[in-house]
Amino acid sequence: MHVHELNPKKTMVTMIIFVIVIIIGLVTLSKPRLNYAITPEETVMLAGSEEGFFYPYELEDILDKTIDTIVLVDIRNTFQFGRGHIPGAENISAVELISKENIKRLEALKDAGQVVLIYGNNLVEANGPYMLLRQIGFDNVKVLMGGYSYYNVWKDKLGDSYSDDSYFIGNAQYDYAEVAKGSSVSNNDNGAPEPKANVAVERKKKNKAVEGGC
Amino acid sequence: MGILILLAAGLLVLPLKNNSKQLDPEVLMWDIVQPTRYVSTDEVAKMIIEHDPLLVMVDVRSAEDFQLFSLTNAINFPLDSLALDDAKSALTFNKRNMVFYSNDDLKSDQAWVIAKRLGLKNIYVLKGGLNRWIQTIIQPEAPAETASEAEFNLYAFRQGASQYFTGGSISIDQSPQAEIVVSRKKKAKAAEGGC
Repeated sequence: MHVHELNPKKTMVTMIIFVIVIIIGLVTLSKPRLNYAITPEETVMLAGSEEGFFYPYELEDILDKTIDTIVLVDIRNTFQFGRGHIPGAENISAVELISKENIKRLEALKDAGQVVLIYGNNLVEANGPYMLLRQIGFDNVKVLMGGYSYYNVWKDKLGDSYSDDSYFIGNAQYDYAEVAKGSSVSNNDNGAPEPKANVAVERKKKNKAVEGGC
Repeated sequence: MGILILLAAGLLVLPLKNNSKQLDPEVLMWDIVQPTRYVSTDEVAKMIIEHDPLLVMVDVRSAEDFQLFSLTNAINFPLDSLALDDAKSALTFNKRNMVFYSNDDLKSDQAWVIAKRLGLKNIYVLKGGLNRWIQTIIQPEAPAETASEAEFNLYAFRQGASQYFTGGSISIDQSPQAEIVVSRKKKAKAAEGGC
C-alpha cells in the first residue's frame, strides 16, 4: 500500500510545491541580454561586402564638420587614446560599447540616422567588434579602414590618401605558389620581398562634400 | 516527496545550459577583444614540422586559391561556405586545434568570428596570414648584426623551416651564428689625460 494513499493531503502539498517551483523556473529562465538580428549566413554576406568600410579620405568631411551625422568611437585602450586620437572621437572600449547604457545610446543614434564609426589601431582590430555590432542589429555602425595608425600617417593630407592603396588589406602580396616552390629562394637569400602583385582595387567614388556653387 | 521537489529545482538550472546553440553575443564580444586567438607563423611552422597531431590548418580562401597553394595538410573551407548547416559538423574535430588562415588576417578573423558564433571550439587565427608566412618562414630576413641572440636563434630556425617547406638543400656553413660580432665598450683607463 502506498504512503500517499494514506495521506492525500501530503500528496496535494507536494504537487503544489512541484508546480510552483516549475513556474518560478520558467519565469527566471535566463534570456540573453542581446540577441542576434541577422543569421550566420547574412553575417557571411556582411564579411564579403565592404559596405560598412569607411575610407580614410572620407574622414576629411567629419573633421572639417561638413558632415555631422557621424559619431567617432575609438575602441583602443585609454592609454593609446591619450597618446593621440582622431579629433572629436570618444574613447569607448568594445566591451563597454555593449553595456546597457551604451546599447540604449546606440539605439537612439540609429533612430536618429546617425552613423557610428569605430576604429582601432588597424582595420582588423576593430573588425570583430564591428561585425558583432552589425550582428546584433546596428546596421548604422561602420569601421575605419587602416585604423588609427593609417590616419596618423596621413592626417595632414587625408584627401591625398584617396590615391593610396596601402589601407586595402586582404590581398595576396606574393604569388604564393611561385615563391614557395623554392626555386627562386637561394640559400643566401637576403629576404628581398618579391615585387608586390598588382592588385586592382575598387573603391567608392569620392564625392566632394561641397560641390558646385555659383 | 523530497525527490520530486529536488527534481523540480533541477529544472531551475537546466535552461541555463540549454540555449547554447549559438554563442551569446555578449560572450562573443568578450572573446573578440582577446588577442589569444592569434598564433604566429613561427608557432605554426614548428607545429607542422613536428607533425603536431592536434593541428588542423583551415584555409578560408577560395577553392581556386587553395588549389594553387596551401599550407601542409590544410583543409579548404572558404568563408562563404562557413555558415552552411554541415559546416559545424565538418569542422568539429575532437579536441584538435584549428588554425584559420587567409592572405593576411582579415578574412580569417571574419571566419573566426562566425565560427565562434556557431559554437566551434579550439579555433585560432594565423597572425599575418600567408603574406607573413612568406615574409618570415619562406624568405626570412637576416637580423641586424647588433640583434640579440634570441633573434639569431629565431632566424636560424626560420632558415631551417624555409628549407623544410621549400625543399631546398641545407647548407650548414650559412649559419649566421658564426658572424656574431661582439662589440663591447672600450675599457676606459681609470686615469687618463689630465694636464
